[in-house]
Amino acid sequence: MTDEPTDPKPDGGTASQPTTEEPDDFEEHPLEWDEPANNDKAPDERKSVSQPAEKFDDRKLVTGEAKYTADYEERFPDLAHAQVVRSEVSHGRVTAIDTDAAEAMDGVHAVLTPWSDEVPDAKYTSAGQSYPEPSPWDMNVLNEHVRYVGDPVAAVAAEDRETAAAAANAVEVEYEEYDHVVDPEEAFDEDAPQLFDQDEVENEIVGHDYDRNRMSNIEGEIGDVDAALDRDDVHVHETEWETIRQSHAQIEKHTSLAYTDEDDRTVLITSTQVPNHTRRQLAHLFDIPIRDVRVKKPRVGGGFGGKQAMVVEPIPLALSLAADRPVIYEASRDEEFGAMRSRHPMKVRARTAVTDDGEIEAIDLYALSNTGAYGSHGMTVAGNVGSKPMPLYSKVPNARFEADIVHTNTPQTGAMRGYGAPQGTLALEGHLDEVARDLDLDPIEFRRDHYMEVGDLDEIAGMMGGEGAERRIRSCGLDECIERGKAAIGWDDIDQPEEDHLHRGVGMALSAQGTGVAGDELGAAQIMMNEDGSFHLQVGGVDIGTGADTAFIQIAAEVLGCDEDDIIVKSSDTDNTPFDYGAYASSTTYISGMAVKKAAEDAKERILDWASRMLDEPAGNLETEDGEVYSEETGDSVTIEDVGYESVYGHDDREHILGKGTHSTEESPPPFAAQFADVTVDERTGEFEVHKLAVAVDCGVAINPGMAEGQIEGANHMSYEMAVSEGVTVDDEGRAEVSDFDEYGLPSASETPPIESILVETHEPTGPFGAKSVAEVPTNTVPPALSNAVREAVGVRINEMPITAEKIKAKLDER
Amino acid sequence: MEIQLTINDEPTSAEVGPDDDLATVLRRNGYTGVKCGCDGGVCGASKVFVNDEVRMACGVDARDADDAEIETIESLGSQDDLHPIQEAFVDHFAVQCGFCIPGMIIEAKSLLADNPDPSEAEVREAIDDNLCRCTGYQKPVEAILDAADRLRDDRSVAADGGPEAGPTNGADDGDTDD
Ligand code: FES
Ligand code: FES
Repeated sequence: MTDEPTDPKPDGGTASQPTTEEPDDFEEHPLEWDEPANNDKAPDERKSVSQPAEKFDDRKLVTGEAKYTADYEERFPDLAHAQVVRSEVSHGRVTAIDTDAAEAMDGVHAVLTPWSDEVPDAKYTSAGQSYPEPSPWDMNVLNEHVRYVGDPVAAVAAEDRETAAAAANAVEVEYEEYDHVVDPEEAFDEDAPQLFDQDEVENEIVGHDYDRNRMSNIEGEIGDVDAALDRDDVHVHETEWETIRQSHAQIEKHTSLAYTDEDDRTVLITSTQVPNHTRRQLAHLFDIPIRDVRVKKPRVGGGFGGKQAMVVEPIPLALSLAADRPVIYEASRDEEFGAMRSRHPMKVRARTAVTDDGEIEAIDLYALSNTGAYGSHGMTVAGNVGSKPMPLYSKVPNARFEADIVHTNTPQTGAMRGYGAPQGTLALEGHLDEVARDLDLDPIEFRRDHYMEVGDLDEIAGMMGGEGAERRIRSCGLDECIERGKAAIGWDDIDQPEEDHLHRGVGMALSAQGTGVAGDELGAAQIMMNEDGSFHLQVGGVDIGTGADTAFIQIAAEVLGCDEDDIIVKSSDTDNTPFDYGAYASSTTYISGMAVKKAAEDAKERILDWASRMLDEPAGNLETEDGEVYSEETGDSVTIEDVGYESVYGHDDREHILGKGTHSTEESPPPFAAQFADVTVDERTGEFEVHKLAVAVDCGVAINPGMAEGQIEGANHMSYEMAVSEGVTVDDEGRAEVSDFDEYGLPSASETPPIESILVETHEPTGPFGAKSVAEVPTNTVPPALSNAVREAVGVRINEMPITAEKIKAKLDER
Repeated sequence: MEIQLTINDEPTSAEVGPDDDLATVLRRNGYTGVKCGCDGGVCGASKVFVNDEVRMACGVDARDADDAEIETIESLGSQDDLHPIQEAFVDHFAVQCGFCIPGMIIEAKSLLADNPDPSEAEVREAIDDNLCRCTGYQKPVEAILDAADRLRDDRSVAADGGPEAGPTNGADDGDTDD
């Protein structure tokens, strides 16, 4: 690792420093894609893909036999348990830590402070991103300069949880307190308390100005927005929006187990979305060769971006080095809400210039993002506020996006499903609804006149600079998404309640996301054939409960012409599976899945070669299906199992059939969603009931429709929470006011309206069997659709999330 | 102290400390299908039957479980022979990460024992304290409604003395070799 500040690279799509390069030549983004013939299969030709294959790990999940990180405890008899001592002040410096009492307790194996030998001095970022890392190195494993209530300052390991907790309690920390700042607008003031001295950060990000608590400023523009706003034939509309600090709230807490194995190698069994990034980060931080670190991912109980970060791993690792025994650290739920990561709360201003007849001449978005105490994912998430939602309207000639990302003494933020797009989508889709009302235009037709369609060159995605972000649109099912979503919600046919005080309204919103980070992804896979005709599929792609492993099996089975049961998948153990960037940015099916497809094709080529000799037929005449290789000419066949035996035990020649595939691309095709919400509002109280959410998604070809629907419904539930729940509120010291689920507004089963998910199939030629992403785009859409529905029902606009009865009532009273 | 309890029909004894809750004791004894997602008593992941009543195991003082009959997720079907509720969860793609699912299935079993033909609203109400972050509840609710059908069908076949009668579908098969 270099000590030089590295040049931040774009991540999460597009954000980076403004580029001086000319836009890419249009010819670099041809409409025609050189797609292999086997990639585009008609529905009735598909054997495995787009079939309802059983999720491969479901049986062990429903029987309780699946192993998550904490379930490995019993395999380590001398395991110690970790606890972390966290800052009780919002801002200050640790002046002394008295560990004597803790160390003297029976059963305590190690107590660490920022000054302990086993605790790295190096600055780092917890953000698990590609390398060079596009987040600032601004934190330590244990911190002397503390910047929020919850910052880790000491850690203990003891023989059981209770002892560890008692020891952590016995650690005495003294602080020199500094002034703090909680409000992001105040933080920006010249005379606000300053969280960072310039020399406390390495790898600084473009646009940083630590004197003003600004970790980054980014901007990008195409055309000339100011000129369009100044025209006298346009209406300029301006609206402001605000979003909550949302917790990932994955039900499995961050859990990580560290030990040194019999070969003196450092092993982590850990609940992560990014095993390879975690391996690299730990190696750099602890100055261990990468080859000597092994990161194993067991079943993971949800991530949603919260585990796209090395949030906890360094602590059990440092403790296990100090205690000389395995150490497990399982965060408490209290820590999950106050000291892990959350969605960046933002204020977003939207401005448009629109002519009388509804031509949008310019879109201008500005975001003020509160990154909390540290800067992980700060710049890249903010970039996506513009670069995901705005390209949806790629026909608009002038577009500009700017963001300021500021520090406050509040809990840390990070990557979260949607990655900036939910904040931007609320602003843009709410704004367009207001404009349509103002100009008396149909909200759907108004959008349709400007949204992207097949063949468009999307320059807006490229406006922030960065290579390859500009893209050609080769699949787009927006029209059908809208039509089917309208039908599902009954758009044209809403009955008003009989009671005069009740008013019903439907609202809608559109969204686009990406599929992987354009030009900044890598997935790899290999397939080993067994002599019984089965296959071991080893893949770096990370299943965190999404069903990715099952999608990989289906893709491989489709290529190989075998049964899904004949494929044994093993994912994410850095010693035994190929490299992968990890499960984020909606990349897994598209990137890692394409690597699987290539590996399967590689193996298939060898299978056909062997079968050609066995059948005495040219390989070009051969095809595989239902576990057999057959000749399309003669009808002769051998089983794949025959090939398996012959290839390893053959008399004349032998070969272990191995296929490998690796995939990386400049492409990141957008999936699309059309969201509809149906609400009734009581104008006397502001209380409202959401009857139904309907969301239609174009994810290309859904590799497994049942799993894809599950992704959509789960994402919509999370999006609904963003619309109606307070999230993690903080007090005026910046301390999280939520410590357990009963204080956090995760909508329960009876609080969640029915969600109708609709899959709209298109074919994306750059994706495996036509697939693009699905998991994030429906996370973006409920806040604007519900805000628009309330506006429709009772005529008031709620811009600030969450939408509550009190806010509606207050606005109704204002009228 | 040592307590005596019956876990999934197996009489057993367990050493418990003064601070141990039942979830910890069950997990320590290999019943790791009992999950812990909160700091106690809120998320529903640790649900088990204690003397036929659904309890969040993390909220039960282990010493109070002396002499109790415990049933955990491991007492339902096995991977080769799923309980009809488990089967319905698989068939409906109601499982994503799976962390909340054992607790939800235990609650569903209790619901369907008391109310073999619940409405959708009753299902949602029953699993209201089973938090799930992955699924949006849509598919779990559909799965439980379908499981109700499956169990009713099983019962009517059994009542008819049909060929499927008897201890079918792995219901109550012990599978505790975890
Ligand atoms: S851990 Fe028992 S209810 Fe959450
Ligand atoms: S399936 Fe992941 S929490 Fe329910």
